Amino acid sequence: MRNRIIIPLILTLLAVPAGFAYVHWSKGGTGTGLYSRYWSPDPVQGYWDPDNFYQSPDSVQGIFTGELCVQCHEGITPGIVTDWRGSRHAQNEETVYCNDCHGNDHQQLRLPTPDVCGNCHAKQHDEFRDEARYGFPSHVLAMERAVDAKHFVDKPKAEVQSCVQCHSVATKCDSCHSRHRFDAAEARRPEACITCHSGPPHPDDETYFASAHGKLYLAEGDSWDWSKVLTKGNYKAPTCAYCHMDNGRHQVAEKSLWKFGLREINPHTSKNQVLRRKWVKLCSDCHEEEKARQWLTELDQERKQAWQKLYAAEAILKDLRSEKLLQPAAGERPPYPMDWLDTLWPRERIGFFEGQASVFYNVSAIERDYFEMWYFDNLGAYKSAAHGNPAGVAAGHRKMRASLDRIETQANELRELSQAEKEAEITTKPSGDLWMKGAYTDYNREHN
Amino acid sequence: MHKAVSDVGCGELANRIVRDRCGSYLGNCSIRCSTSCIHAVVTTSYILCMLFLATLPALADESLPPGPFTETECITCHTERDPSLIRQWREGSHSAASGVGCGSCHGDSHKESAIKARKDQSCTGCHEGSASHSYSTSKHGIITRIEEARQDWRQPLQRGNYRTPGCSYCHLHNGDHGNTMAPDRGPETRQWICAGCHSPRYIREQFANGKRQLEIADLKLKEGESLIASAVDDQAGALSKLRKSLNHHRHNVLLGIGHQSPDYQWWHGQPALDGDLIRIRDRILQSSRRKSLADNLEE
Repeated sequence: MRNRIIIPLILTLLAVPAGFAYVHWSKGGTGTGLYSRYWSPDPVQGYWDPDNFYQSPDSVQGIFTGELCVQCHEGITPGIVTDWRGSRHAQNEETVYCNDCHGNDHQQLRLPTPDVCGNCHAKQHDEFRDEARYGFPSHVLAMERAVDAKHFVDKPKAEVQSCVQCHSVATKCDSCHSRHRFDAAEARRPEACITCHSGPPHPDDETYFASAHGKLYLAEGDSWDWSKVLTKGNYKAPTCAYCHMDNGRHQVAEKSLWKFGLREINPHTSKNQVLRRKWVKLCSDCHEEEKARQWLTELDQERKQAWQKLYAAEAILKDLRSEKLLQPAAGERPPYPMDWLDTLWPRERIGFFEGQASVFYNVSAIERDYFEMWYFDNLGAYKSAAHGNPAGVAAGHRKMRASLDRIETQANELRELSQAEKEAEITTKPSGDLWMKGAYTDYNREHN
Repeated sequence: MHKAVSDVGCGELANRIVRDRCGSYLGNCSIRCSTSCIHAVVTTSYILCMLFLATLPALADESLPPGPFTETECITCHTERDPSLIRQWREGSHSAASGVGCGSCHGDSHKESAIKARKDQSCTGCHEGSASHSYSTSKHGIITRIEEARQDWRQPLQRGNYRTPGCSYCHLHNGDHGNTMAPDRGPETRQWICAGCHSPRYIREQFANGKRQLEIADLKLKEGESLIASAVDDQAGALSKLRKSLNHHRHNVLLGIGHQSPDYQWWHGQPALDGDLIRIRDRILQSSRRKSLADNLEE
C-alpha cells in the first residue's frame, strides 16, 4: 500500500524537473524556441530578431556620438537622417541621437529592441510585454509562435524569412513605428498594420476598407488630425488602432473575443462577458449599446455556422483516415525532422489543431483543400464579420460551402475508386516515393 | 550562426556619393577609408552639391512653352535637349513599340509634368494587380501613400529627397528613363539606390536572402515541371492549369522580394507553390489508378 503512493510520488517528483530540464535543454541550440536544436538562422534573420541573432558590423572603428554620427550619415545614408530630423527624437529639447539607441562604439552597434525603446517609453513597453498574459495570438508572442511552428523548423531557413518579417512585431518596435521617424501618428493609421494584416488568412485590410468605417476613412482620413490620441470624439470613424489599441494601450490581444478567428470559444463564459462589455463600451463611443450587443451576437452566429461547416469537413477527412483512403498515407510523406514519434507511429494529422498550422504541404490534395477552407475561406469570413463587411461574410461562407462540397465529392470519388479496385481485385497502388522525391523536396530534406 | 562579412569600404561609398550627386565635378576624387577623411569629404561634397543644386531651379526656370504637345513634338524637342534620356526610353520596355510615350506618364503639357510622372498613380494605371498590390501593401508603399500630401514631389528622384521610395524612385532613379531595377543593370545599381537609406550590409543580406528565396521557388517550379513531364496523360487539361499556377506563384515570390512584401513572398508565393505541387502529384496518382483500373477492365 505504501509503495503504491511512494513510487508514483517519486516518479512525479523526478518527471517534473526532468520535463523542465528537457525544455531548457531543447532551447539551447543554434536557433531559438522549442526546436532550437534543429535549426540555424539565415544570416538575414539578425535584422528581424536582433536580440538573438544580430551581429555588430566591423567596418568602421571608433567611438561616435551626437552630431558626429549625423554628419557622416548625412552623406552615407541621407534618407534616414532626413527621416530622423523630422522626428520628435530630433526636435525634442533633449535630442535623442543615433548613439542613444544604437550605442556609440561602431564595432559594437546594436539594433534597437523593444527593451531599448522601453528605456524611455516605459508605459508602452510594459503594456507590450504584459500582453503575454493573454496568450497566443498576440503581438508580443508572435516570434515564439513563428519559430515553434513545425514548418518553420522543417523548411529551408531562407524560405521562412518571409514569416519572421511580420512576426518580428514581437522583437522590434519599428513594425508599426517605422524607422527613423517613429511617428505615433503614422502608427495610428490603418495602413501601418496592413503590411502584415493582409493576404488570404488575415484580410484585415480588405475587410476593414470594405466596411462603413473603412469607407469613411478612405474618403476623409487624409484630412483627420492623426496627432490626436485614440479616444472618444477624436476620430470620425474607428481605425485598427482605435478599436484594438484604444487609448493607445499597447495590447492588441486585450479584448480578443474570438482569438483572431483561430479558436472556437464559448460566448457565455463570465470571462467572455467581461471582454464583451469592453467592446460594447468602446462601440458606444459612437453607437447605442444595444446595437453593439446585437453586432456581437451576429458575430457569434456567424462563427457558429462557420464551425459547423469546418466540423463537417473534418468528419469527412477523419472517416477517410479510418478507411485508409488518404493518399499519400502518413508513412509516404516526408516527416518533420523533429517528429521522431511520427517515424515510429506515422499518422495523418487531421484538423487544424492536431496538425497545427503546418498542414499546407507534405499532405494529400483533399487535406490541402481542408487547410485552405479553414485558413483562407473561414478566416476571411470571420474577418468580414468582425469588421462589419456583410458582403465579405456572404462570400466567405459561399467559398466554405463550395470547399465542403468539393471535399465531399472528392471523398466519394476516392471511395468509388477504391470500391472499383476491390471489385476488379486490384491492390491499391501505394503512392510510393511520389511525395518523397523532387528538386525542392530533396533540397528541403538536406537544408532544413 | 553565420558571421556577416565586412561592409563595403566606407571610402568607396563616400566616393560614390560624390560621383552621384555632383557628377563629373568631383568624380575623380580618390579617397581612402578613414573616419576623419570620410567626414571631410562628405561635408565638403555636401556643401558643393547643395550649391550646385541651388542653381538648378534658376536654370529650369527658362520659360517653357506650356503645350499641349503631341508625342512627336515631345520627342523631336527632347531628342535635341536630352538625347540620352530619349535613348534610355527607346531602349527600355516603355519604348514606342509598346505604346507608352511621354504623354502616358507626363501628360500633354509642361505643367507639373515631372510631378505627375513621379507619383505612383502614373504607373499603377497600367501596372495593376499583383505588381502594384505587392508594393502598395509593403512598408515603402504604405508610407508613400500616407505621406503623399506632405511629400515635395518637385524634388529630383535622388537619395535623401524622399522618405520612402515610390515606383519611380527605384525604377527611374535619378530620372533615368531606362528601368534602373532591370536585371541587366546589375546588382550594384540596385544596391546603390537602396543605400540612400539602408546600410550596405543590410542591403547585401536582404539581396542574398531574396536570391535564395527565389532559388527555392525555382526548385519548386522545377519539381512541378518534372512531375508534369512524368505524367502519362493530362485529363481535362488540369496539369496545364497547374503549370500556369506554378509560374504565377513563382512570379509572386519575385514581386514579394522586389517590393519587400512578406505577404507576396509567403501566402501568395511559397505555400501557394506547395499547394500546386500537392495537386500535381494528386492528379498523377489519381490518373495512374484510373488507368490501371481501365486496363484491368479491358483485359
